[in-house]
Amino acid sequence: MSDASHAAVMEAHWGGGAAPFGASWQKTMMWIFIVTDGLLFSGLLCGYAFLRMASPLPWPKQTEVFSMPFIALMTFILITSSATMGTAVGASKLGDRKTATRFLFLTILGGAAFLGCQAYEWTHFIGEGARLAGALAGSELGHLGVPPQFPATFFVLTGFHGSHVFSGLVILTITAIRTALGKTPAQGVEMAGLYWHFVDLVWVFIFTLFYLL
Amino acid sequence: MSDTSHANPYRVYWVTWGILLVITVSMLAAELLHLPRWFLIGFLVSFMMVKALMIGGNFMHLRYEKANLAVMVFTGIMVTSLILLAFITPESWNVMHQTLR
Repeated sequence: MSDASHAAVMEAHWGGGAAPFGASWQKTMMWIFIVTDGLLFSGLLCGYAFLRMASPLPWPKQTEVFSMPFIALMTFILITSSATMGTAVGASKLGDRKTATRFLFLTILGGAAFLGCQAYEWTHFIGEGARLAGALAGSELGHLGVPPQFPATFFVLTGFHGSHVFSGLVILTITAIRTALGKTPAQGVEMAGLYWHFVDLVWVFIFTLFYLL
Repeated sequence: MSDTSHANPYRVYWVTWGILLVITVSMLAAELLHLPRWFLIGFLVSFMMVKALMIGGNFMHLRYEKANLAVMVFTGIMVTSLILLAFITPESWNVMHQTLR
């Protein structure tokens, strides 16, 4: 395609030159992905609401089942990793590769710590008798009389979220290494950041709706 | 970007971090106080939305994007969720009453 005809196509309304969101195609596609992934979690949280409201057995008090200071620590770690990620995005936009790389690795550290906490929480909960289909008869949780929906929704919600944290860590590790080598442009760091902040955003909903309400 | 970002480009992220922490601690404290159930639900859900808007606006830069993008994201997720909730809430109560019967 000649330069003149390419310019004509780009200027045409349906030629691909229009940017209704005022963003690059990479950012637009990332946001569309985030919306679809957000809808996945919205569906899971609505499913949780359905199961909780439909449960004939009373929902247990979360403070009796979970250690709230530990959940608070997990939340603190994730919020902090979002701030370090924001700093990495800001630094890469300013062309400060060293700061961007340092804060990307700090974000990875935060994400890994969060996953470690989640692994500990799952191990502890399973040890108390929690299974995907309900609490084991005769176990500590079984004595509390928790409805089977409680551990089921716990494993599904935190499992899906944890798998997102894990994929976020993979993306961040690749981005951090490539940034250190000077191979990732600022926009690449921004896209990784959008995904990481989304993971934090989902936790805000899970933390409130599952652990606090 | 706001004017403050020129002075310290990372300030907005750490101010947001501080506010998010304060809100999180307030939510945990509210959980420990023996507040009326409906008041507690209203308090927690309101602050959950404030936290979500702060993460979306400041960390994900939606504040600085074209309004179209923010509208697509917000309506796409929130309206779908509310419609879904509106349909399943009465149905979940039906299921509970049938189970108890």
